[in-house]
Amino acid sequence: MTGTGSAQAEKATTLSFSTDLDAYRTALRSYLCAERHLDRWRGRHYSSIEERTADHAVLLEVLHRGRWNRYGWPTEAGGLGGDPRHRAVLYDELSASGLPVPEQMNLLETLGPPLVRFAPELAARYLPLFLAGAEHWGQCFSEPEAGSDLASLSTRARRVDGHYVVSGQKLWTSHGATADRVVALVRTGTPESRHRGLSMIMIDLDSPGITRRPIAIASGAHELAEIFFDDVVVPADRLVGAEGQGWSVAMYLLQYERAMYAWASASVALRRLRELRDQLRERAAAGRPAPADGATRLGAVYADIITLRAQSADTVRRLAAGETVGPEASVDKILLATVESGINDAARDLLGGEFVLGTAPELHGWRDDWWYSRSATILGGSAEVQRTIIADHVLGLPKEAK
Amino acid sequence: MSTSPTTTAEPTDDGPGLDPATVELLTGSLRELFAESTDASAVSAALAELGWTEVVAADPALATTILFTEQGRGLADPRILDDVLLDLLEPVLPATRSPRAVLYPHPVPAEDAGTVRGVLLGAVGEDTELVAPRFGADGVGELLVLPAAAGSSTDLTGFDPGAALRLVEIPAAAATARRTGPAAAQAWTRAEAAGRRALASAIAGVCEAALAQANAHVTARVQYGKPIGAFQAVRHRMSESHVAVTATRRTVAAAWAAGTDATGGAWEARIAKYRAGRAQAEVLRHTVQVLGAMGLTLESDMHRFVTRGALLDLLLGDHRSLGQEIGADLLTGSDARPVVEI
Repeated sequence: MTGTGSAQAEKATTLSFSTDLDAYRTALRSYLCAERHLDRWRGRHYSSIEERTADHAVLLEVLHRGRWNRYGWPTEAGGLGGDPRHRAVLYDELSASGLPVPEQMNLLETLGPPLVRFAPELAARYLPLFLAGAEHWGQCFSEPEAGSDLASLSTRARRVDGHYVVSGQKLWTSHGATADRVVALVRTGTPESRHRGLSMIMIDLDSPGITRRPIAIASGAHELAEIFFDDVVVPADRLVGAEGQGWSVAMYLLQYERAMYAWASASVALRRLRELRDQLRERAAAGRPAPADGATRLGAVYADIITLRAQSADTVRRLAAGETVGPEASVDKILLATVESGINDAARDLLGGEFVLGTAPELHGWRDDWWYSRSATILGGSAEVQRTIIADHVLGLPKEAK
Repeated sequence: MSTSPTTTAEPTDDGPGLDPATVELLTGSLRELFAESTDASAVSAALAELGWTEVVAADPALATTILFTEQGRGLADPRILDDVLLDLLEPVLPATRSPRAVLYPHPVPAEDAGTVRGVLLGAVGEDTELVAPRFGADGVGELLVLPAAAGSSTDLTGFDPGAALRLVEIPAAAATARRTGPAAAQAWTRAEAAGRRALASAIAGVCEAALAQANAHVTARVQYGKPIGAFQAVRHRMSESHVAVTATRRTVAAAWAAGTDATGGAWEARIAKYRAGRAQAEVLRHTVQVLGAMGLTLESDMHRFVTRGALLDLLLGDHRSLGQEIGADLLTGSDARPVVEI
């Protein structure tokens, strides 16, 4: 099935998987169960982001060779057809079988769809490489003076003949420490143009004039980076969408971030909950029972995960049906933040002193994850921004006092 | 019961389904119905006139969801919950011509083990048979059928005076039928699951109505020269309430979609009821706060949502006990089911 059959049989399988989600799910599930060589990615803790990125790239390569991560992406971009539900099933089945969702996929979920939609040539050129684990991209939006207020960003891109000259500074670039390219939101209009004067552009990080400085989050992990652009020349065909269309592209991208990233996170959180439960059971068997409120905490987190799955599945299905996901997806984002904070807070509280002092690999894992989970209420629109979006656009409350 | 606005736990796609326009129409009719019909018999008659049995047959999940959402929204007589449970309990009970009502377990059982203490969702006639479930969290127990005339019954004002509850004490020895064993236990598990889904929708309705009232208030009420809904602290409370209500509705729908196994979707229904119970605690805390002094006086209806939310949370397991049960099951090795698939 993974390339050993005749070309004709492979074609028939591709057609059936791309149109029959359940057939894809069933085949994927049995593949993930049967292949013992995948065990090297189970229960694995990495000492650095660089190490994790490299190892997850190998997992991507394996999934690509088996054709599993190509469903849900268009054939023009190296995929095998199907829709976002195929991707959602992949993340869910990986998690259900105890495997990680390759970290790179989280950013492909936000950067891939706008590329496919607004820059099909770029998608055709680079998305196949991403799916094969040969490269990955960072999301380059925030700046020192533009965090929540993204429309105030000031990194400039000047059009000079057939290219752009980019100058400025980006901060907190996700996956920026290890990425090969970034998708950046830059200002092509006047400084006062706010969201109207923005453009989205893909930039190679090995271009002359780029300085990259990894940023360690409190766990020491290089989750983010600071990137300086000093008259960096970028070909004009790297634009994602038209010049000045950057904000619309960003809004399009946000739909996938709210829907697909939330679903993938819920899948991962359910795996982490099972792992935490097993760790608590092992400790109880060794005479160290969970704290008195252990059951209540675990029950609450589990129910929150199920609620996020229920909400997110609906959003993913709407996205797959071609509907536009609007401000109501801030509900998904808030539920996602509740789950990510909740599972990690539960681990911290229920593992107690071990979380603070323990040396076992799983405890390093929880500590790293706990710090990273603090970003759930910050990145992609802070908890406060999400509540304001709902108040403005869903509940229609009076506009906020200035 | 003459009219049965109820359902077994069938999946949504078993019936021909209801289109969105019909659902909107029915929702409107139900809203009027619950606004006008104040007691259980009037509600039953109005539902019969609406042809509710056919609606349920067409789409049990959607029908039950909108019926109980509107019942909760209208702070209507909670008695129709009995029909949901009895529908699933009656197959294991002896046939009868008498009306039946469910005697819900009182959170504090009678000291004397020979006495059944329970709560009725409203007054019943002397000829009524009370169906009393007596099951532990482990699912072991019995179903009793007790003649209402054999016990004492008093008004139970409690926290929600609007519900017209009755406190009943009745000797277990008066039972005219007693059902134990796997069939009775399974019937109860399924009935409890169906009841929990219905209650979760009713709680969602209570919360939606409270939120709508709070929304109107924060838009109209001016302080410091602005509507108070323009202040971020107020806005964010409102948004969090919206998230809690949406989360409840979505979790109930997921529970319906999953509720097809031999237990009638008990695992998923418990999660939905837990979600709803937590939502009412959170939403009603916020809506009372943003109404200021009006939230805690009889001037507004807000107090009625608070007390009804508390009652519906308590029935068939409050969110604190359910959350503890869910976690305890996970800790003793129950599968952490994904419940929802794409």
